[in-house]
Amino acid sequence: MARELTFRIFRFNPDQPDVKPRLQDYRLTEEPGMTLFVVLNKLREEQDPSLRFDFVCRAAICGSCGMLVNGRPTLACKTLTKDLPAVTTLMPLPVFKLLGDLSVDTGVWFREMSLRTEAWIHTDQVFDPNAEEERMDNAVALQIYEAERCIECGCCIGGCATANIKPEFIGAAGVNRVARFMLDPRDKRSDAEYFEVVGTEEGVFGCVGLMACDDNCPVGIPLRDQLAYVRRKMAAAGWKLRRRAPAARA
Amino acid sequence: MVYLQKALARNPRVDFLVELVQMVSGLLLVVFLWTHMLFVAAIWLGVGAFNALAHFMDQYRLLPATVVFLVLVFCAHIGAVIRRVPRQWQEQKIVWRHAKLIRHADTWSWLFQAVTGAAILALAIVHMAVVSYAGINAGLSSMRVHDGFLAFYAALLLLSEYHASVGLYRVFVKWGWVRRSSLKRVLGAISVLTVAIGAITLGIFYSLGAQA
Repeated sequence: MARELTFRIFRFNPDQPDVKPRLQDYRLTEEPGMTLFVVLNKLREEQDPSLRFDFVCRAAICGSCGMLVNGRPTLACKTLTKDLPAVTTLMPLPVFKLLGDLSVDTGVWFREMSLRTEAWIHTDQVFDPNAEEERMDNAVALQIYEAERCIECGCCIGGCATANIKPEFIGAAGVNRVARFMLDPRDKRSDAEYFEVVGTEEGVFGCVGLMACDDNCPVGIPLRDQLAYVRRKMAAAGWKLRRRAPAARA
Repeated sequence: MVYLQKALARNPRVDFLVELVQMVSGLLLVVFLWTHMLFVAAIWLGVGAFNALAHFMDQYRLLPATVVFLVLVFCAHIGAVIRRVPRQWQEQKIVWRHAKLIRHADTWSWLFQAVTGAAILALAIVHMAVVSYAGINAGLSSMRVHDGFLAFYAALLLLSEYHASVGLYRVFVKWGWVRRSSLKRVLGAISVLTVAIGAITLGIFYSLGAQA
């Protein structure tokens, strides 16, 4: 027997601030293999064309459909209704700019984070288009790839209590990004230079270790390990900074 | 982003150092807590053993030294952690709402950390004042535990063990190396053990107080 499912969906349009945010109930019959992607599109097509939410790839690659499913930050396209109770609450991710209903703008946040962490290869080597590409050790490449798997869905940021109260905090996504460049032998930044970027309350030392990021990453990046890696590296760099402090101040 | 206040306050290491102070002071407090637990458990061996230990501590001025140590470490720990407690009403509302929203156990335990920390501070001040004023011996302790202070000590025991266990968990989580699930198991077991030791100690004092 197919279940009747209820979806309690957050409704709010920032362009109509007089209409208070509310939860609206929708009902539909469960189908085999149904995901939240299917549910939301069905609801929009058949019941309420005004419902706003984001999807692009529907295969956990684009990172557009991050939302709170019964409170848990995750990707809607990856969530099967068979794993959900009869009543499911859907809310947009916190922290990010709310565009309406379940739709948020993660792009502005991630762009800002990329700029602040200077998420590009820092090198003074001049690019020679005719030269053979430099080879990289396979083990290093795999380590970098682990961090690169981030799809910027924002689930780690939405779930983070610190990011919720401190807009400047770069969160697990930011620290993971920095970890990626730390591992990359082509990036010539010294640990002291990285310390400038992440050795602060806005960076890795702002993390209080609640691990909602680690518990909720939809693509399973070991965020706790990435955070700890950067923390240890930055602690070592911060410790060494002491000895050079007088020279640096001059 | 740099603006005037940030440019003026520029000491790149300060956040790292405060984090270090928080961790080291926290670890010292845990070491103290467990040592304290074992010392008080000297009552298991009898009133004589407990009083001998108390006398030893008194003789070598270890009691006032401990009080000074505690005041210093407590102040360092409070000074460091206070920056993490959501201060403004606005922030408080957000974190409590957030914890309810995402139903995440580790987020809840962090909120409890702030609450239990504040409660421990209040109780510990009373406890230290009483002990410093009256001195330590088995007769006084059993009298206190029997005549009205049992709930006070039970609360202090549970709160401090909980706070220490969650605090240790966070330190290990932040710095890595140990798996989170094994960490929870080991720390859970240690907490149960220490609370049990403390409870038995309180029980002995209570019965001694009843006999007196």
